[in-house]
Amino acid sequence: MLGRILYNIIGRKQALPEDELNARADAGGILLETGPLAEKTGRVFRRSVRIRQVDAGSCNACEWECIALTNPVYDIQRFGMDFVASPRHADILLVTGPVSAAMANALKKTYNATPGPKLVIACGDCAKDGGIYKGSYAVTDGVGNIVPVDAFIPGCPPTPARIAAGIMKIVRASSKIK
Amino acid sequence: MARNEIYREVAPEEFRQECSKLFDGGRGRLRLMFASDNRETGEGFCIHAVFSHPGKNLFEILALKNLEEKKGVIVFPSITSVVPAAHWYERQIADMFGLLPEGHPDPAPLVLHGLYPPGVYPLRRDISHKEIRESLDLDKEDLSPFMEVKGEGICEIPVGPVHAGIIEPGHFRFSAVGETVYYLDARLFFTHKGIEKQFEGMDFDEGVKLAERISGVSSFAHSAAYCHAVERAADTSIPGRAGAIRTFLLELERLYNHLGDIGNMCAGTGFAIGYAKGASLKEGLMRLNEQLTGSRYLRGVNIPGGVLVDVLKNPAETLRMVDGITAQFKSFIAFLTGASSHMERLENAGVLARDIALSLGATGIAARASGLDDDIRRAHPHLYYGQLIFETHTRRKGDVFARMMLRADEAACSLAILKSILHKAKGKRLEGDIAAQPVKKIPESGQALGYVEGPRGSIFYYVRGGGDKNKKPLRVKPRAASFCNWPLMPFAVHGNIVPDFPLINKSFNLSYSGSDA
Ligand code: SF4
Repeated sequence: MLGRILYNIIGRKQALPEDELNARADAGGILLETGPLAEKTGRVFRRSVRIRQVDAGSCNACEWECIALTNPVYDIQRFGMDFVASPRHADILLVTGPVSAAMANALKKTYNATPGPKLVIACGDCAKDGGIYKGSYAVTDGVGNIVPVDAFIPGCPPTPARIAAGIMKIVRASSKIK
Repeated sequence: MARNEIYREVAPEEFRQECSKLFDGGRGRLRLMFASDNRETGEGFCIHAVFSHPGKNLFEILALKNLEEKKGVIVFPSITSVVPAAHWYERQIADMFGLLPEGHPDPAPLVLHGLYPPGVYPLRRDISHKEIRESLDLDKEDLSPFMEVKGEGICEIPVGPVHAGIIEPGHFRFSAVGETVYYLDARLFFTHKGIEKQFEGMDFDEGVKLAERISGVSSFAHSAAYCHAVERAADTSIPGRAGAIRTFLLELERLYNHLGDIGNMCAGTGFAIGYAKGASLKEGLMRLNEQLTGSRYLRGVNIPGGVLVDVLKNPAETLRMVDGITAQFKSFIAFLTGASSHMERLENAGVLARDIALSLGATGIAARASGLDDDIRRAHPHLYYGQLIFETHTRRKGDVFARMMLRADEAACSLAILKSILHKAKGKRLEGDIAAQPVKKIPESGQALGYVEGPRGSIFYYVRGGGDKNKKPLRVKPRAASFCNWPLMPFAVHGNIVPDFPLINKSFNLSYSGSDA
């Protein structure tokens, strides 16, 4: 707790304001209409979103950018978002990687362990369609082939600003749907 | 052919003895071991073992060719009993090529999980990506057994592959007595993406993009090693300025990794403010990366023949930024070393003994923190390293503390190298082009190693031309540093308490994706 307070004190000094975050994000390519988001009626996340990050065979650059979201510069906790340790506590699954064959089953299980209504965001170019690994014997060419995907954040890797802005955009869109 | 490589074909009966001679109890290091399917060129299945000679800038590569079939299986003599560092390489070869290491003490599958049917060998050149894919059963659980520890009070703690934090997937099975870890069995290769086979379908330019995506925070080291191998196989060299730029960016990559890792170790001890400071420092470096190259991960810079981005264009301005980072770095380290609650946790945790590091072929920080003086920049100087004066560092104790302090020493050294290159550029002593002729074709006779000292240790590539009318490689074998270091983990964790595992793990900071490839 004390750590958290101290963290916030140093964090605040450097944190990017939201408009600058958006300006850096170039959020244009964030796709919302790819999945069953529209069916998730009545869901209002407001300012409390819990995210479970799942690495489904990424090169790990996307994870480092997700980790950067909690550093004092991006500090996404101030927008009411945070990463959680278990899918059982999550509203959003943020999935990276092309889904390697060996992770397909684990991803499915994680998805099933997440309480509904839930959003699945594919983060990074290879999570969309396999990216550079597309066609390889050991991958399944994208998250959408394994679990239903609601939105996609492009980039290889997307910058932390883009991931943060992307999640906010997606959350807002889903909260409006009644 | 590259000048510091000797290729020598040996007979299967002599292989073990020759390897043992070159390994010399660990003084000669096994850098890489791989198989290739050279049935197209009449050499059949081959095995190569790459050793570096102690104290000399020389690699000796022993080759077995046209492996023989015994009772329907193609076999080769395992060298694990005399060169323990070969143990994973041989299991990898067995999985990927279906070549059996005769006499391996533990020939269980390594890379391919249960969902790959037996008899499918992905790296054989007569099976396509599509055929392999169709044979997979994605829902099949991997049921191969874990090492079981029996006895009173032993309990098993399974963790993963999906972990609590934002980290890569792997399954760990702790056998603990109370809080103390008795044995750790790790099942990795969840992120195996078939990259080696993909290389064979790409031309030499495209291959760089793939090399950059083997392990995120070692993107530059991997692409530099890949380009190095391609250039040497094609018998070309790169302009001096390009060499200096690669050296500069390799050090920048080392720097951001080491600082980030030092910060992450604070997360392992619950020292939030240290973690936050480290993360801010790293973020500053990521932005410097972006400013210099357009990519936070230094991607899109390397090509076979040189570099695409001239990062030494504004040396004066970059120098100012590096000076700023140096000041922050110094105060960060002073702050951490003054935090006794943090530092005390690091001492005596996760000790890796020197003899284990030596025989299992540890590399990078893991090796140097346990007293092995092994740094590719020194042992096999290339790029601009030959012209630089710099220190390499080792520590003796092999605990988490040693690994942290070693990172701090090396980060200081990287900062010094960055400055010295910038001063040279400022003084106009590094003028010239940044790229030579691009490499488009490599004949079948063109083969070479490429290597760098990456942030996590040595990275090796082997490239051989001759595929698709010489426009593609016949074989590319990448070897990430973490592939050598993962097997050390059970030894370093033994006898520690389970809650210290994240700290010990962070002190090694191994890459799953790099090792799994
Ligand atoms: S999108 Fe790019 S950076 Fe992200 S995991 Fe895939 S290859 Fe790596």
